[in-house]
Amino acid sequence: MDISLLFRIAAIGILVAVLYQVLVRAGREDQAMMTTLAGLIIVLAMVIKEISELFTTVRTVFGL
Amino acid sequence: MEVIKIIGVAFIALIIVIILKQYKPEYTIYVSILVGALILLMVLDELTGIINLLQNIANKTNINSKFLGLLLKITGIAFLSEFAISICQDAGEGAIASKIEIGSKIIVIAMSIPIISSLLEIIIKILP
Repeated sequence: MDISLLFRIAAIGILVAVLYQVLVRAGREDQAMMTTLAGLIIVLAMVIKEISELFTTVRTVFGL
Repeated sequence: MEVIKIIGVAFIALIIVIILKQYKPEYTIYVSILVGALILLMVLDELTGIINLLQNIANKTNINSKFLGLLLKITGIAFLSEFAISICQDAGEGAIASKIEIGSKIIVIAMSIPIISSLLEIIIKILP
């Protein structure tokens, strides 16, 4: 639970944007779409892990 | 000291959101959710101290601990639903935010029924 997660998400976002442009220039639109989706799913997995940690902590703190 | 850390994290996230908004707007929602969770987790440690203090006071003044537990649950629900509501509004989805709000209000009312009923009993006893 630290700030490196934020930087990782920013890096993945920019990487996917660059990859998308490169693949579109190379004429492979479908693979470009795949990389965008893959990037989204990776970041989603990271965010969900953090959210579940938050929910379990709140549950233990408040006795929910 | 803790506030400085929170403000620092918020500003870092703000810069990242602004950068990402040009290239990939859909990643900004991820960053805002993550920084929200990060700051809340930082703050939760102090919250446990406050809750322990409340419990000590409740034990001393022999308030019914069931009510205090219920109050803590309700604050937890408010804490989480406010987290979700602000993120939904930030993303521009006011409808989803209002649905979360309505849902959490109903759950809070449903949970506070025991308190209301015991309050009514007390009032009825007082009345001549």
